[in-house]
Amino acid sequence: MSKTLLLISRRSEDQAFAAEVALTAGLEFTQVQDSKSGADLVSQSAADIIFVDVSSPELYASFEQAVQETVGLFSDKVNANSIHFLTFDDLEKAQYLVQSPLFGHFIMRNYSDPKEAGQHYGRIVKASLAEKAFGLAQLLKPNSKIQVIKLSVSSQKHNAVEAVKAYLLAAKFQSRMATVVANAVDELLMNAIFDAPVDDLGRQILSTIPRSTVQTLEGKNAVEMHVGFDGQYVAISAINFYGSLDKAKLLSHISKIYVKEEYKVRTSTAGAGIGLATVFRSGGSFFFISESGSRTEVIVFFKRTDNFREFKDQFRFISTQFYF
Amino acid sequence: MGSIEETVNFDQLLGAPHPEMEINCKEIPRINSVGVKAWIKYFQSCQAKGSKIRFVECSTAIVEQINLISNFTCGGTVESIFVPFSCSGCKSELAGLFKTEDLKKIQLKLPDLKCSKCGSKAVFDDLPEEYFGFLMR
Repeated sequence: MSKTLLLISRRSEDQAFAAEVALTAGLEFTQVQDSKSGADLVSQSAADIIFVDVSSPELYASFEQAVQETVGLFSDKVNANSIHFLTFDDLEKAQYLVQSPLFGHFIMRNYSDPKEAGQHYGRIVKASLAEKAFGLAQLLKPNSKIQVIKLSVSSQKHNAVEAVKAYLLAAKFQSRMATVVANAVDELLMNAIFDAPVDDLGRQILSTIPRSTVQTLEGKNAVEMHVGFDGQYVAISAINFYGSLDKAKLLSHISKIYVKEEYKVRTSTAGAGIGLATVFRSGGSFFFISESGSRTEVIVFFKRTDNFREFKDQFRFISTQFYF
Repeated sequence: MGSIEETVNFDQLLGAPHPEMEINCKEIPRINSVGVKAWIKYFQSCQAKGSKIRFVECSTAIVEQINLISNFTCGGTVESIFVPFSCSGCKSELAGLFKTEDLKKIQLKLPDLKCSKCGSKAVFDDLPEEYFGFLMR
């Protein structure tokens, strides 16, 4: 039996996007206009992937209510890994989604070209349906070259970041774009080196030590960086072997910005807590994949564009895939 | 100055706070989140000691942080910034230095520049509401 993608939306651009996602991911496409109809369909036969328009708190509330009244929020038929929220707003304006128990994937609807965005995102969806979503190869166009860099000591981070920048410049990314991507890589590697390590009780081991401390990255502390470019999108992953990613903490960091309120320097942690939010606002998309106690891959995607304006305003998403 | 990362030590780099400080940010191509934290910690201590801080020739990386973090300048004034342009002909990246006072006077209506490489028209290359957000606060 073929797997299905259910779209709950009245918007034609969502239809164009989701249909292309379904095609790319090899899914049967179904569309309904409202959450009630969608939840009814889900209760009859579980949808493998659900795309839902939650552009306003009201639309989200109607979806949550419909799910609650039909299959229940914690039913086997609905799993956060399979739910993709569609909105116009950046995540900081959609706090109602950050707090949702159904949060799995977040898509900002600036598709620009729905077909092209659908193909890109379709690869994410396809990977999320595989036994495990790990690995860059399935997230880029076929035959994209992937380079693997293993860091043996934390002080190599600087050179790794500069190497990515040089690679992107060679791939004809504008200098400013290459700098933005390099900064994203810097944040990902820093998190993998210093935030991922936890003890047996799940408590962070290195979160308070200064980020300039030189750490050996061997055994469980190993950190890898994979870089791939398919001629359109660059994807870079930072990999650690703790599998300690905390979804609630992740979402609170990534949705927190300081445009209106003041940033307060906290001395209780060595990290700044602003890296991921900055990357997302700079045009980057994220795919967080974590298998508890085993492995976490954080992948950032950027599309190469003709100018920086398009780069910053590109189609964007935050996807999460957790295995327990 | 170079990229500002976790290894930067502002106390060593800039010394103790002075009553009047002019910080030239032209040569800062990149700043990471730990660099931002160190920056704010240092300049907040300057602010607390009564320093009058002026940031000049702010690179695009610094302007982005000024826009993202409301207290990034720690009470200091931003006197001039680099504004990114892109050539419509050869696609080169260019940057023009503007005084913030002048940008306000022209109500952010930027003149087109002539590309220094091919002579074609170069246009502002960012999202105006984001790049100039701090001037509208």
